Amino acid sequence: MNFDTLEDIGHKERSRQSKYQRRIFCCTSTACLSAGAGQVHTSLDQAVAACKCDKHEAEVVKTGCMGLCSEGPLVRVEEKESDPILYGNVSPDLTQNIVSRHVPMGGIEGETDNEEQDHSVTPHDIPYNRASLRQAQAKTELDKFIIPLNLPFFTKQVKVVLSETGRINPDKLEDYLAHGGYRALAHVLEEMTPEDVCNEILESGLRGRGGAGFPTGLKWNFVRQESADNKFVIVNGDEGDPGAYMDRTVMEDDPHRVLEGMIICAYAVGASYGYLYIRGEYPMAIDRIRKAIRAATRRKILGNSVLGTNFRFKADVRIGAGAFVCGEETALIHSVEGKRGMPRIRPPYPSTSGLWKAPTVINNVETMANVPSIINRGANWYASIGTEKSKGTKVFALAGHLRNTGLIEVPMGITLREIVYDIGGGIPDGRAFKAAQTGGPSGGCIPEEYLDTPVDYESLTKLGSIMGSGGLVIIDDSTNMPDFANFFMDFCVDESCGKCIPCRVGTVQIRKLLEKLIAGQADTEDLEKLDELCQLVKTTSLCGLGQSAPNPVFSTLKYFRNEYDTLVQPSQAVEAGGS
Amino acid sequence: MVELIIDGQKVLTHPGATVLEAALANNIDIPRLCHHPELSISGGCRLCIVNVDGYPNPTPSCGLTCEDGMSIETQNAELFQTRREILDLFISEHPLDCVTCDKSGDCLLQKYAYDFGISKTSHEFEISKPLYQDDNPFFIRDHQYCILCGRCVRVCDEVVGASAIDFAGRGFECHIATPFDGPMKDSTCVFCGNCVQVCPTAALMPVSRIGNGREWELERVKTICGYCGVGCQIEYALNNGEIIYAQSKPDAPVNGEFLCAKGRYGWDFATNPDRLSSPMLRRDLAFELGLTSESWELPDKSPLKIRNPKIEDSFIPVDWDTALDFVAESLANTVKEHGPDSVMGLSSARCTNEDNYIFQKFLRLGIGTNNLDHCARL
Repeated sequence: MNFDTLEDIGHKERSRQSKYQRRIFCCTSTACLSAGAGQVHTSLDQAVAACKCDKHEAEVVKTGCMGLCSEGPLVRVEEKESDPILYGNVSPDLTQNIVSRHVPMGGIEGETDNEEQDHSVTPHDIPYNRASLRQAQAKTELDKFIIPLNLPFFTKQVKVVLSETGRINPDKLEDYLAHGGYRALAHVLEEMTPEDVCNEILESGLRGRGGAGFPTGLKWNFVRQESADNKFVIVNGDEGDPGAYMDRTVMEDDPHRVLEGMIICAYAVGASYGYLYIRGEYPMAIDRIRKAIRAATRRKILGNSVLGTNFRFKADVRIGAGAFVCGEETALIHSVEGKRGMPRIRPPYPSTSGLWKAPTVINNVETMANVPSIINRGANWYASIGTEKSKGTKVFALAGHLRNTGLIEVPMGITLREIVYDIGGGIPDGRAFKAAQTGGPSGGCIPEEYLDTPVDYESLTKLGSIMGSGGLVIIDDSTNMPDFANFFMDFCVDESCGKCIPCRVGTVQIRKLLEKLIAGQADTEDLEKLDELCQLVKTTSLCGLGQSAPNPVFSTLKYFRNEYDTLVQPSQAVEAGGS
Repeated sequence: MVELIIDGQKVLTHPGATVLEAALANNIDIPRLCHHPELSISGGCRLCIVNVDGYPNPTPSCGLTCEDGMSIETQNAELFQTRREILDLFISEHPLDCVTCDKSGDCLLQKYAYDFGISKTSHEFEISKPLYQDDNPFFIRDHQYCILCGRCVRVCDEVVGASAIDFAGRGFECHIATPFDGPMKDSTCVFCGNCVQVCPTAALMPVSRIGNGREWELERVKTICGYCGVGCQIEYALNNGEIIYAQSKPDAPVNGEFLCAKGRYGWDFATNPDRLSSPMLRRDLAFELGLTSESWELPDKSPLKIRNPKIEDSFIPVDWDTALDFVAESLANTVKEHGPDSVMGLSSARCTNEDNYIFQKFLRLGIGTNNLDHCARL
């Protein structure tokens, strides 16, 4: 099986898709599913079936995230020679309206327009459905549910990682191939050496999207240059930050993209086995990735002869068991090895001694998902997006006190103001913007005066936050900042593995101080102790979890010091001396 | 050789050595709780952090491999303060019961608290693991003193190979546990006590040690264990002439500080009233020799059915000369009368190799027989 055969399959699928006059896309990603998209999808199928129209009039397509999750379930109708229309807050009832508006009803012998509804018949009965469709046709409130696709929410985004998300059926390899899938892999295997690939990724400026921002090409080169019998590639799908679901979406809705990036990486560094470590709380992502691996293996995209060449690569899934700390690379490695997920000191780094002591590349899902696009369109193209040191795009899970929340992909360098007001639609309920929190429990908050900061690695670090994995929480003026910081510290206390003393006990003591403060029982000495303790935990913790746990406290102390000061009682010594 | 500078001093070390190893080998002490020279590296106590030229933050020296040209600073005012603050965190969850604690004088946490001048915590005291486990006759697990250094886990995994215990739970609730916190006897523990040996605090203590004397007042007696042919060195600790516990020191040849259950806990026989302290001669033979006035006869009831037999009933103590003369004469007579092959020698794995060598030489050359066997073969 070489790429010609696969290209053929893609071509056939494109042909097949082009036969349909209209395709109705229904989002079935986890967020929309939890809002009822499962029933919406079923009722769309039933409604289209009830039309009894020609087979090629309409196809209902199960697809992934369309971005504006706060308005889900989302359905998009793409009709030939028309602009696509996006419907939000779709209910199973509303699907009747959508289908009756867009899909022509074919005639059935013996049926008249005056057909009475027979309530004794089940909804699966075609005549019953057709009657509902005719009823729905009469209603015109459908327009209220249309979401204009020229909203800044959509137009200000630049899709690279999410290019196919919401456009393809994630369960169908043919759909991925129809959209140019695995062309990058074929190109790499036919035209590029491992060194070429590493350098291409290096030149693109791609940096780790898990939060640390380490240049990906550099990491790949380190591993490529190690001489070892075995090397491994690990894709980190642990995504533990509360509220972050970028990686989940990519794994669920474009699993082959992740696989393609992983296989290209394996070729570039000389690995023959790979693991996708997916947190246990993502059963659908696990399922879809496994399906994709099976499909890819059947088509010889994975296996002993990738695309007919002598390059061997196999991949498997490893499931996490509920530990945030397993997102840390050395803890993740121990977890894959079957041991307790506790980090170890580095050096040695995984690139020299990783999984079972072999040189290992560990990259975040989003990082891997950028690779096929970089190979297809070139490093120069990728480097033309973004800023000087932060190239390309970043996927954010936009959440919080905002009109539009959901999943967005924006070019590096876009300002926070554009994200909050243009894309996010501003703060609802007449409240005011207070801060934007990036990086989850490892990050910091950015207040209003810095809204024009470009979103890139360096600028966010300079402000006392981090890029993080993509969680972006907007909070309004109803939020109390010490309380906000305590939420994240509470999370770190829960997730600390317990190996090193500063994180295990230090975070508990920091939380005690914060709670004392919030209860109005702390004095100025306590505030000083809080700062000192945060410094200690930051500089002496063994791994990134502990090292970054105090960040929300530092950040809120820096920009919202007054909120801490108002909670503080005067020091006991001053009280005693004063009387 | 690798050359680096530690505290302004040029240090030469072999490739692969860590900064901590190089420092210790050159009489530069670096505080450490979780490091142990026989075990793999943890890096969890954070006390051994040193400043490395070119590194942004203090780095643990236990895991840092020496490189040519490295420049290390192991102590300064800032490192002292940081280490002191780390100890402050340790004692924020460790009861300072030093006054009545049996580990006092031998406790590493106590030593460093003294070195860094920290006598009480500046934080709110909260014990993270108020668990007390007294489920076996050999050692007590008092988790409130545990500092989670992990030495016990590592020694059980790497030296003993039993892997009976591991970290369980997360963060503040993390503790050292048997599978599902079950009783020790249901785990793969072999009760060798090596975990007790390497524990730096009072978290693991021999049962026999509790309340039986202050560390610095105990008498130490070095000897060789008699249980098997390996001949490990043992150091008994005695309080008022009574053995309290057994351990070994890292410099002991053969075994270092590791022992097995027999050596570490099987010393009661030494002071058992049933233990023989002089040769004993059968009462009927002694009567014949005129050494005693009361004889002994084989009873009607089988000797095996007599409960708690009194040894004085059938044996009397004699001095070594009498005993040896009697044995030599009897053996010689037996050989003369019935030939050398009427004698058989049965030895033991508990004898040293040297003793066993002499034994078989005596039988083959002295007595003239090859009838020789050994308890291990049975």
